[in-house]
Amino acid sequence: MSWPIRTENLSKTFRGVAAITDLNLQVPEKGIYGLIGPSGAGKTTAIRILMNIIRARSGRAEVLGVDSTRLSPRELASIGYVADGQDLPGWMTVEYFLSYLKPFYPTWDDSLAAELLREFDLPRDRKLSHLSHGMRMKAALASSLAYRPRLLILDEPFTGLDPLVRDELIEGILPASEHATILISSHDLNDIESFISHVGYLDRGRLLFSEQMTALAGRFREIEIVLDGGAPSQPAWPAGWMNIERSGDLVRCVDSQFEGGRTLTEIHRVFGEVRHVEARPMPLRAIFVTLAKAARKEA
Amino acid sequence: MCTVRYSTHVIPFRVSFRPGVSIYEQVVYAAKKAIVSGQLRPGDAFPSVRALSKELKINPNTAHKVVTELTAEGLLEVLPGIGTTVASAPSSTAAERKRLLGGELEHLVVEAKKIGLDLDDVLSAVAEHWNALRDKESKEPARA
Repeated sequence: MSWPIRTENLSKTFRGVAAITDLNLQVPEKGIYGLIGPSGAGKTTAIRILMNIIRARSGRAEVLGVDSTRLSPRELASIGYVADGQDLPGWMTVEYFLSYLKPFYPTWDDSLAAELLREFDLPRDRKLSHLSHGMRMKAALASSLAYRPRLLILDEPFTGLDPLVRDELIEGILPASEHATILISSHDLNDIESFISHVGYLDRGRLLFSEQMTALAGRFREIEIVLDGGAPSQPAWPAGWMNIERSGDLVRCVDSQFEGGRTLTEIHRVFGEVRHVEARPMPLRAIFVTLAKAARKEA
Repeated sequence: MCTVRYSTHVIPFRVSFRPGVSIYEQVVYAAKKAIVSGQLRPGDAFPSVRALSKELKINPNTAHKVVTELTAEGLLEVLPGIGTTVASAPSSTAAERKRLLGGELEHLVVEAKKIGLDLDDVLSAVAEHWNALRDKESKEPARA
């Protein structure tokens, strides 16, 4: 397995305040990795270190196999980077902007550029400074897709966009994922959960978990057990149980290591015979809230 | 004024994603439902992996798995040079019949008894669903 993005104990402080702490991020080849976290969690800081816009205080980051502080035009020519609020040369028209970028990218594809302009409904002769926020994001994305990058890094691309434009951007991004690895940050899980393959949750500079989407949904269940009277009052709770609540014979919890038969055996081991067990799948949002709460309790 | 944008990317079935069930399973189910209800008929073109991914906003790998699964189940046919189309009504295998009429039906009966339904409730609900899917089929205009 190769990792187009890999960081080791990456840390950064701003005026003594920790922005990211010991970040170990691994984005697998051809994956669509969603970096989720509230505003101020350190997503943009991490991405700016990857792009060599700012320096880390300690630790290291590798991008396309190269130390991020040594990224050369050669690597940058196969990386697409789009960030919310990115500076664009406002005096250029859309068409001029693309023709200006083209010589920097040996893999530039004119017909793809034309197709993207059409799909995004971008006016070729309008100045970038005269475009709406959504149009500017589309222009920035088109300019980053037109050279078929091997790595696409998108920092909060959907912030402040209406749902229609958001959908247009996603429709532009998804075909690229057949050939590219994608890292996309967002504060809103809803925006990206339908198409990401991996997800990491960054909270106050720390990566709380990083996992394949299918694995995450599979191992979490909301468990409800109705005990049969004789259960111990201070049982040894199974490992992986979180948010345990008990009221008389009713036990509720979130199992973070659910595995059908094994979980049932465990329940019988702890409580003996029980009257009723139910394991419900959880929406992703509920899983995130559970994990974030648990991590804050530990901190 | 209303402008219609013609596109090759229209997906001939609807999926509204529910939490807790994998996106893959939900899309496979939606496609099957469209096929048994006659919304998609034998010979109809089935969307490409890329179109599925773009229109449903799902990962291309997931879209690929969906098409592979439906093809393996005999619901789709891959015609070289033409694309993927809906297969002519596949005859069910003995194993499939056994799984549905044995296991899955038993599961339904257990759930129904658990919440206190009687046999008539279940039979009339089954008939209703059965007819709903058949109705859709007969209401579709005949095609050449």
